[in-house]
Amino acid sequence: MSSHEHGLPPKSSISRWFLTTNHKDVGILYIVTALFFLVFGGVLALLFRIELWEPGAQVLSELSYNQSVSAHGLLMVFWFISPFAFGFANYVVPLQMGAEDLAFPRLNALSYWLYLFSGLLFGVSFFQGSTFAGGWTMYAPLNVPAYIPDGALGATTAVLALVMFVASVTVSSVNFLTTMYRMRAEGLRMRDLPIFSVSILLTVWMMLFAFAALLAALMILSADHIIGTKYFVYQITQSGAVTRTVGNEAASLLWAHLFWFFGHPEVYIVFFPALGVMAETFQTFAGRRLVGRKWFILSMVLVALQSFMVWMHHMFLTNINLTIKTVFMATTIGISLPFDLMMFSLIYTLIKGKVRFKTPFLFTLGSVILFIVGGITGVFLGAVVLDYQFRGTYWVVAHFHYVMVGGATALFGGLYYWYPKMTGKMYDEFLGKVNFAMYFVGFNLLYFPMFVAWETPRRVFEYEAGLTVWHQIATIGGLLLGASFLVMFYNLFVSLWRGADAGDTPWEYATSAEWAVSSPPPMDNFPGLPSYRDGSLSFLSESAVAARLRGDGTASTDGGDPTADGGVATGTALDTATETHLETEDVEHADHASIWPFAVGLGAFLTMLGLSGVQQGTIVGTEYAALLGVGGVVTFGSLVAMTREPFHAPEAALAERFPYADVEKLKLGMWVFLASDVVLFGAFIGSHAFIRVAHGWREWHNLIPAEHVTMPGLINTYLLLTSSFLVVLAMVAAKKGSRRGTVLSLVGTLALGIGFLVNKALEWQHLFHVHSEAFPQGWDLSTNVASSTFYLTTGLHGAHVAVGLVICAYMTIRAWNGAYQGDPDAIEYFGLYWHFVDIVWLFLFPLFYIL
Amino acid sequence: MTRTKLYVGIYVVLFAFATVQALVEFAGFLESAYWEAFAAIMVLSAIKAVLVAAYYQHLRWEPRSVSYLVAGGLVAATALTGAAAFSIL
Ligand code: HEM
Ligand SMILES: [Cu+2]
Repeated sequence: MSSHEHGLPPKSSISRWFLTTNHKDVGILYIVTALFFLVFGGVLALLFRIELWEPGAQVLSELSYNQSVSAHGLLMVFWFISPFAFGFANYVVPLQMGAEDLAFPRLNALSYWLYLFSGLLFGVSFFQGSTFAGGWTMYAPLNVPAYIPDGALGATTAVLALVMFVASVTVSSVNFLTTMYRMRAEGLRMRDLPIFSVSILLTVWMMLFAFAALLAALMILSADHIIGTKYFVYQITQSGAVTRTVGNEAASLLWAHLFWFFGHPEVYIVFFPALGVMAETFQTFAGRRLVGRKWFILSMVLVALQSFMVWMHHMFLTNINLTIKTVFMATTIGISLPFDLMMFSLIYTLIKGKVRFKTPFLFTLGSVILFIVGGITGVFLGAVVLDYQFRGTYWVVAHFHYVMVGGATALFGGLYYWYPKMTGKMYDEFLGKVNFAMYFVGFNLLYFPMFVAWETPRRVFEYEAGLTVWHQIATIGGLLLGASFLVMFYNLFVSLWRGADAGDTPWEYATSAEWAVSSPPPMDNFPGLPSYRDGSLSFLSESAVAARLRGDGTASTDGGDPTADGGVATGTALDTATETHLETEDVEHADHASIWPFAVGLGAFLTMLGLSGVQQGTIVGTEYAALLGVGGVVTFGSLVAMTREPFHAPEAALAERFPYADVEKLKLGMWVFLASDVVLFGAFIGSHAFIRVAHGWREWHNLIPAEHVTMPGLINTYLLLTSSFLVVLAMVAAKKGSRRGTVLSLVGTLALGIGFLVNKALEWQHLFHVHSEAFPQGWDLSTNVASSTFYLTTGLHGAHVAVGLVICAYMTIRAWNGAYQGDPDAIEYFGLYWHFVDIVWLFLFPLFYIL
Repeated sequence: MTRTKLYVGIYVVLFAFATVQALVEFAGFLESAYWEAFAAIMVLSAIKAVLVAAYYQHLRWEPRSVSYLVAGGLVAATALTGAAAFSIL
């Protein structure tokens, strides 16, 4: 038995769940963990719903109320919805596209552990005085220590938890994109992907760029907390007097821009997987292909692009200019159009098909209805004039709960839909329907009265007495909604033992590939190599693959024979390859177990917790220093161990790889990561530019001492350019098989990089201690907003250099021992990173040293 | 071998451009014609960046789709910077 599990302990053993890197296991971990955070956030919500039974604060204190509201929002948006959807994505997408696993299984496990530990970290923040209490949007300046009562320890931890969460998301985006572009079954073109996979693909694209902007915002915010930069603080003078003339005129606008540039795409990041589940289940339960599938996909692509062009509709009440408000009102109206198309396509699919009202379908149908209500009320908010009324009221609260929780409704449908696949058991249909009825009634009782009582101010426990009855209805609805989950959990839990066997598929008209294998699927997913070349799914034996590679395998690039839309997997071709299963398994022995992702997650958790004890540059207690030290060692040690661990994740011999056929998977992964890093640095540079524009571009010089000269920057430019050149030489030398050349070039790179950092350190020392008339106390991180942006932006770059140097040192040692000769790929990929860091400096140099 | 020569040539150009950027300042152009000097300096940076990306990161020889990927990030960052700055002009 254990040979089937590829070195992993059985599922009944606890240790399996710490070791596993298999996408199905990770998917289940995500789902269970997300449900835990749903309960966490849900309990908080019930707390403040009870508080709202009458106006005023009776049950919770003021600060507790603010904490509950803020934590509820953050938990639901970040730690519940998306991870819940990514549980399904993890489980289902590789199956739907015919891959054995994700491209980087250990990184996938790492994403999970970073996610779990970030959530735990957030939980810890409650015990450090108080957690963040300024609302889930974390608007400036209430997000910086100066405006946080009773010390900012817990708030800092909450921000760091988010940083960690974003790290998880970034790793996961890189992984999914690489997987989906490199590992599709033969004959499965991009456009043939089942609709759920399409929705996930677009989601990860949005995640890649949107979360990078959020990461920038959060890193800047952490810096304001931890090292005392002044991005989001209004008043700073040398004497500490209150003024708005020195420094940062647009602190709160900067946060709003960064946050909503992420935030609006985020609402689609949350919603797209739900849309995918809707479309998937509508097809299955209507027994009909999605009407206008092509247009549906096109609409999603449009929305994904447009989602980055509407963010200022969250800023209509700020003092941004009217021109830009008008533009963003237009783009906002524009983005609702593709949605109309999608909704019509869904509804039309039902009309044309023959509907079976099973639990998953009830949930997704309910979801569509809720979403339509939410969407329509959103259009109201998109009109500048109306938003002047609605902003900051319960209208907004009702709107986004209808869309967001409406989306989550589809995901619950997805849970029922894929439960038989994941467990091999059927849930109880009757209880499922009871669950839905309670859920749907509870939902509407909870959120609809909020439209009626829209004049209630948001995030505040006071409201007009006349609205009390509506709030009481809402609270009752909330309790009913909460109770519906007890039914769900009971049903799903008990069915693990008592449920009927689900077989390969309980759904008659399900067509995507996950239903063509057993439930749950075996470790390797498929009994042979999946292929759609002949128009439907078949599994190729070793010999068939070999034959195809030898002779007629050239048709495996995109544009091969068209397959049935949606990658229809009929069961017919199944039997051809079952007997070759064992054979395949022996040849392609993939690894599935590693403890290091868990260890890295744990290390990061300790490090972040330690870091939260650093406030404005001073550490508040030795226990935090200890955590920081231990965490750093654990993280670094496990990263090294993970690098050194042999881990085999083979790529299939035949796969559809358009448009990245010639880009090896590690290289593609690196490029995808760099693309997100472009946005990270872009947002840092953009923040600098924004603050400078707000301050007056040319007056900026008054904030900078005369001692801040061009020369150190120019020298560093020379150093970095030369080091980049040396990496190129290292690659050339490795290609030619010259060990000496490789080592020398790498050592040179290392030396120049160190020189860069030393030069920077000297420069900073000098600036910290200038004594001029304008800057009698020196020019350090906290002096003014110009010093903040200078140190933080170049500091982030310096950190990239330092990381590069660690990798470079590691590679130098390996090269010394003879690695890379004739096989320079690793050097090349490191070079991609190093040159990128170089490119960033090419912009930082003029921006911070010349202009 | 010729590749190596190309890499050297690019290195020289990068070096020279960086020097020119600093010279623009040393020559006092930022005082006399700030925005012209600003434009010149940024254009030089952009050219340098394209050279590094095209040759050192050999995007020139990769499938076009890789460049599109990076361009996507670039467009996003530029949109954020541009629109945000414009919103407060
Ligand atoms: C037809 C599509 C939509 C339109 C036109 C729209 C429009 C808007 C507007 C203008 C606001 C700002 C209201 C204000 O704060 O005054 C808003 C808020 C919000 N929307 Fe939507 N929306 C749409 C769909 C969605 C979707 C699909 C989701 C999520 C799945 C969503 C989630 C949110 C959230 C969370 C907020 C509140 C943000 C906050 O906390 O301030 N919206 N919407
Ligand atoms: Cu929005």
